[in-house]
Amino acid sequence: MIPLVYFIFLSAFLFCVGIYGALTRRNVIGILVSIELILNAANINLVAFNKYLGTPDGMGQVFSLFVIAIAAAASVVGLILIIAIYRDRKALFTDGFTLMKE
Amino acid sequence: MGDFVFYFIALCTCVFSVLAVTQRDIFHCALWLALTLMSISGVYFYLDAAFLGVVQILVYVGGIITLFIFAIKLTAHMNDTSIRQTSKQWVISVFVTLLLLLVLFKVFARTSWAEIILKTDSTSINQIGLSLMTHYALPFEFMSVILLAAMVGAIVIGKEKK
Repeated sequence: MIPLVYFIFLSAFLFCVGIYGALTRRNVIGILVSIELILNAANINLVAFNKYLGTPDGMGQVFSLFVIAIAAAASVVGLILIIAIYRDRKALFTDGFTLMKE
Repeated sequence: MGDFVFYFIALCTCVFSVLAVTQRDIFHCALWLALTLMSISGVYFYLDAAFLGVVQILVYVGGIITLFIFAIKLTAHMNDTSIRQTSKQWVISVFVTLLLLLVLFKVFARTSWAEIILKTDSTSINQIGLSLMTHYALPFEFMSVILLAAMVGAIVIGKEKK
């Protein structure tokens, strides 16, 4: 039997990889990829705690279903915003988005 | 044998996720992300959450990765590998991330997990369906409203301006 803490280590590692990607990427699509990784790290925690603590009504799994739905909605809106900005300004890099500064 | 399966899945997840954030070509990033998400669904299967594992493959690999690939292909000429893809602050980012990882691992290693009473009984699909329709009915309905709002918003924002 794998100890619970190994799953938490795995999820912490995924979270840090996601943070690294979100900090270093110039491309907005790359930042969205990293955010998906962060959300999945949270999901692993929820499912692992649900399994090891035996919550009465499957709370962890229900909440990770909600997280998956929110992640889907977020990436749809994020990608359509990226396409709209690209169409308008022909820019896809974070240092090119200076609309608020002009 | 069971332990070996977990270590294999965990190793795959770690390697694929690192590749997904460090690859230069953004299209390759999306493909590595697909593999990462599939190994995470393997973690769910390992944790007896078969329904979530299936949902993960259906929604993420089937839906979201397809969207990513569409977006990458629609903005194709910005994704040339000759253009610099990482920001100038990557050295300090590595430092901050490693520090965060160290702090998190230290905290988790020091926590006394033994005090928690482990039960390890699995949740059935039956149970999830019942919870969604009874105790979590309100958040479930809100979720459908959010998805509808995201769909309408995507259509409105994505429409070509006349």
